[in-house]
Amino acid sequence: MRIAIGARTLLENFDLDVLPGELIAIVGPNGVGKSTLLRAIAGFDAVASGDIAIDGIAVRALSGRDRARAVALATGDGEHAYGASVRDVVAAGRFSYRAGWDWSESDDDRRATLAALERAELDRLADRRFESLSSGERQRVWLALALAQDARVVLLDEPTAHLDPRYALDVLCLMRGIAHGATTAFVVLHDLNEAAMIADRVAVFGNGRLLAFAPPEIALDPEILENAYGVAFDRVVVDGAVRVLPRGYRAASIPTGI
Amino acid sequence: MIARWSALVALVACACTIGLFVGGSALAPAEVLRALFHPHATTDAATIVWTLRVPRVLGAAFVGAALAMSGVLLQGLLRNPLVDPFLTGVSAGAGAAIAIAVAVGAAAPLIPGIGFAAGLATALFVAFLARRRGGLDVERLILAGVSLSALFGAIVTLVLVRLGRGSGDAVLAWLAGSLANRGYAELVTTLPYAVVGLICAALAVPSLNAMRLGTTVARAVGVDVVRTQWLVLAAATLLAAAAVALAGVVGFVGLIVPHVARRLAGTDARASLSASALLGAALVPLADAVARSIAQPTEVPLGVVLAFVGVPTFLYLYTKSADGARLWGT
Repeated sequence: MRIAIGARTLLENFDLDVLPGELIAIVGPNGVGKSTLLRAIAGFDAVASGDIAIDGIAVRALSGRDRARAVALATGDGEHAYGASVRDVVAAGRFSYRAGWDWSESDDDRRATLAALERAELDRLADRRFESLSSGERQRVWLALALAQDARVVLLDEPTAHLDPRYALDVLCLMRGIAHGATTAFVVLHDLNEAAMIADRVAVFGNGRLLAFAPPEIALDPEILENAYGVAFDRVVVDGAVRVLPRGYRAASIPTGI
Repeated sequence: MIARWSALVALVACACTIGLFVGGSALAPAEVLRALFHPHATTDAATIVWTLRVPRVLGAAFVGAALAMSGVLLQGLLRNPLVDPFLTGVSAGAGAAIAIAVAVGAAAPLIPGIGFAAGLATALFVAFLARRRGGLDVERLILAGVSLSALFGAIVTLVLVRLGRGSGDAVLAWLAGSLANRGYAELVTTLPYAVVGLICAALAVPSLNAMRLGTTVARAVGVDVVRTQWLVLAAATLLAAAAVALAGVVGFVGLIVPHVARRLAGTDARASLSASALLGAALVPLADAVARSIAQPTEVPLGVVLAFVGVPTFLYLYTKSADGARLWGT
């Protein structure tokens, strides 16, 4: 597969074969094409070559509604939901389950919305305006939206960005819970240790290529990471779990008096 | 919730009733009532009520509902609370065409049709300028609408200056908005366009709700964003053009009513569209009743009354509430 924006090729010659129920972390330096890859999986943009298929069916061949029932991209693109309540936002996940002209919500839609709210522990915030939530709560709303959408594949773009460790853990746990059974999740992460904590497999992108696609303890290899990020890494084992740390600058090499 | 909707429906009924009892010719309330219950009577009162006041009140309610819905649809689509139905150049295009038509001496009955056609054509041209990759670019739409409106405004000014007093008055009256002498015929010819607009709007409402969350989320949940944009634009334009053809440029309704409607009913497109239609259908008959009665025997332009009533109400609403900066209500 090749992912490109205009004439600029971002990622080339790679193949991600993913099993149902897997949680795949996508890591790599800024601008490498991680978000573009997610948008391609969601069927938003055509890939330059190759294709993206779910159960053998190409995502781009699906209608908007069928696509939404197959793939959920759980990422808001703004601070505002223009007066929508938390429940309204989550209920939008049911859009593809009824005709476009249908003004009413079915009982199934209501049940699914409620179940998604409960699972994301948002039931107490359901009537709050989306704008009044903290960023951690907002991330949970996007996750609940994806849950209500009830899709085979869930995509998350940096869901832990700007979150304090507690909220980040909440979101990670929720994500881990989503990826099971028939549901596969892809999550773009910047924190490599979050990837190590929750992912079944990690896809490391760098220099326009897929450098590794393996369980975290294999993919998060200092040599592979240095190749991807251009920074040296140390690998440590804490309580049997692999953690990677960028090797800090030596104090002497940090310029002072800027 | 049901109480709120009943109150809105009652408000429309009250406003329309008040409209029936007010007018240029002094009729006692009892006479109006008798005429209402005896539509085929041959009294002067029956003629006045059924051929002048009823169509006029219906026209006012129609114009109010159409403009308010047009405004709430465009504000929702563009996610911009400062947008009004005339943003797409509907009124400016119609105004320029009508000014030119009057200048070259077109027959009066042709004027509404010319306005309607020119309004639609202008909106189409604005949409064409705002096209990007099949969809509509919100910023381009606003820029194209505002700049074309300015150009057409200049044409109107030029024609008015050249025409001078007399023939220029016809153009001015039209620009200020008025429901004077509008009968069933005018109502019946403009209604079908508004109905088509309303159908487009109804089809777009569920998608418009999802579009509140931004285009990325809307696409992700299965909304055809491009189709929704065209549907809403078509709906808003048809509704506004129908209102303009019937009553000229009636300002402020399309800007202000949606704000009040969202405060009352929330930003869910189903609720805000319905509440806007009802509020508009109450506000314009009321304003028209004031326009007819405040300076008898002459009429004050409807647009002027609406500005005097609407703007202070609007400012009051926003300065009174602690969260005045929140233009999206609730």
